[in-house]
Amino acid sequence: MPQLEQTEFFVSQLFWLVVTFSFLFIFLWRISLPRIGNVLEKRERKISEDLTAAKELQIEAEKIQETIENQLKQARTDSSDMIKSSTLSFQEKAQAELNKLDNELDIKIEKSAQAIEKNKNDSVSQIQTQINEITRLTLSKVASFDISDDEIKKAVNSIERSIN
Amino acid sequence: MAAKDSPLKQFEVIPYSKTEVANYDISFTNSSLSMVITVAVITLFLTLTVNPRSLVPTRMQLISELMYNFIAQLLSDTVGDNAKKYFPFVFSLFMFVLIGNMVGMIPYQFTFTSHIVVTFALASVVFIGVTILGFVNHGIKFFTFFYIPGVPFYMHPLLIPIEVISYLSRPISLSVRLFANMLAGHTLIKVFASFVVAMPFFTGALPLVFIVALTGLEILIAFLQAYVFAILTCLYINDAYHLH
Repeated sequence: MPQLEQTEFFVSQLFWLVVTFSFLFIFLWRISLPRIGNVLEKRERKISEDLTAAKELQIEAEKIQETIENQLKQARTDSSDMIKSSTLSFQEKAQAELNKLDNELDIKIEKSAQAIEKNKNDSVSQIQTQINEITRLTLSKVASFDISDDEIKKAVNSIERSIN
Repeated sequence: MAAKDSPLKQFEVIPYSKTEVANYDISFTNSSLSMVITVAVITLFLTLTVNPRSLVPTRMQLISELMYNFIAQLLSDTVGDNAKKYFPFVFSLFMFVLIGNMVGMIPYQFTFTSHIVVTFALASVVFIGVTILGFVNHGIKFFTFFYIPGVPFYMHPLLIPIEVISYLSRPISLSVRLFANMLAGHTLIKVFASFVVAMPFFTGALPLVFIVALTGLEILIAFLQAYVFAILTCLYINDAYHLH
């Protein structure tokens, strides 16, 4: 077996093992491994930073969502209030308008009634005068009585009273 | 010496030049070449694929990061809070063994992890380092590592020697496990390869199929042994911190 027979190369193998392995160890220790470590660390840091940023943004987004919802809620209540109040005020206005119209109509009716009453009274008094005149004329034509207006009036009135 | 067509011939060390320093032969051999290739592959791959400014990794960079995270996870799982200090060493060890095994899978390439002297040296570094670490952390109390609490007192004369032996055999088991796996796998492939040549007509295709399957298995073992080497190192480091 050459491994055990070629003892003359033991020193050579050990020497080159020490040389190559020392070089490898120092090179990896000083150059390669810190480089890879840095890359990994940098990536780790970047990922965690991104994750934190994402978390913060999510919280912010949630806040914004909440504000939007609150605003929407506020707007809904506001609009319903507005509708309610405007409905109420319209009703009041309409009521007032109606009341005014009622009053005006009442006044007009009152006036008309008064005018009718006055016309009736006028007509009645005119009829009375005419009755008196006709009575006097009839009496003077028929019996040539000359009766004073006062007497006629009295007679008519007494008849009227008896009728009534 | 191995015979000309022996399946063990592939493990022969062949020097490319003769270099001696202070009477020690430190010739550059095919074993040294494999180590240099291994180190070159690891350093170049880990350097060229990683762009320090890129936030999104490329596929190749992902492999480097995967390796990094794999060993980092392994260490933090076994050793815990003290793991960071030993990460460069365990990572280097894992990559050195893994790529060494993988380079050995390339035909005509020498597998330096199939040499007990290499694996034993690596295991010894781990063993000696961990033992020093244990004494640094616990001082003389480190010897309580061999004392198992909660055992009847008359068992201790038996258990303490067993514990000491099992502790001292750690570098042997660690190195022999890797060495033997590599040796057996490569030898097996070579044996089947000799069958391909030896068998008449097209029946040679049958062992060829085996070679293909074995190559896949060997790649798995190459990874597995590197992983085992790394995880045992982690466990030993953990033992040096938490005695029991």
